[in-house]
Amino acid sequence: MKCRDVYLHICENLDQGADSPRCRQIRRHLEACSDCASYLDSLKKTVDLYRALPDPRIPRGAHLRLFKIIKTINRGETSSPRRLKKTADGKAGHGAKTPGKRRNN
Amino acid sequence: MPASHLLKTSSPRTLPEELIIAEARRGDRKAFAELVRRYEETVYRFSYKLCRDREKAEETLQDTFINVFRKLNSFDGKSKFSTWLYTIVVNNCRMRHRRRKIREIEESLESLDNPPASVDGHFSKEIARWEETPADLMLGKELKEQLDAAIQKLPDEYRVVFVLRDIDGRSTEETAAIVGISQEAAKSRLRRARAYLREQLDPYMSTPQGGRR
Repeated sequence: MKCRDVYLHICENLDQGADSPRCRQIRRHLEACSDCASYLDSLKKTVDLYRALPDPRIPRGAHLRLFKIIKTINRGETSSPRRLKKTADGKAGHGAKTPGKRRNN
Repeated sequence: MPASHLLKTSSPRTLPEELIIAEARRGDRKAFAELVRRYEETVYRFSYKLCRDREKAEETLQDTFINVFRKLNSFDGKSKFSTWLYTIVVNNCRMRHRRRKIREIEESLESLDNPPASVDGHFSKEIARWEETPADLMLGKELKEQLDAAIQKLPDEYRVVFVLRDIDGRSTEETAAIVGISQEAAKSRLRRARAYLREQLDPYMSTPQGGRR
């Protein structure tokens, strides 16, 4: 197995845990090839870095605006709900991009 | 006991998801609100991971639940509700970025299938070692900016596969179902996305002297 073959197949299982003949060949190649071992290591670290990025929680304003839309839906005020936009004063206002039949506020 | 009666007598928060979905499909307002409450955080986080922008994530959040309201009757229960929901998020993101010019980047991603190799199939250039681990780096501001910049350069079709498989830990099968592509295509996009991100981060992460182990 050559580096190019490893390069193309190494990605499928970064942990190399599978026991298929191809995976066994890849493991053998990695033991002997420092370039491929470095490549695999850097791919794993790439994924780890993105996993380590913090998940933002939904901002309170976004939650409130979403539930304002849900209330209009649930009150039956519209069959064509529209997106709400944060306005300069921090309150919810209708966005212009999602078409709706009528305004609901 | 009829489900609608259960909703009247119990807190919706304690009821199983299938029941909530069934009642929301029948037009029960409390059930629909409960469905939104259960999934708003998931949808917002996933949207943020796709676009790395709070305002766009909120727009996608709103569009997604408006679409859920419109299309809930088409959910047949054959797939998991979360899979169906993710499909809506992905489609909303696609609509948002449809006009983005990605051809140039896609061509460079395809070239990643052919790494620099000599005639005997070995790497023709030395692969630099990445000495520092994510824990060592503590995800400082500069590194976060590098990560954001790199993933934002990825075309959406690749980014969504990377986020679903590598960040959210979904299976290849579920990722393919959400994106609406074959499992082989999902694997190919994942390979290119990882290779592209690795290449983008390489100058930042490589040890100055490079070097073999």
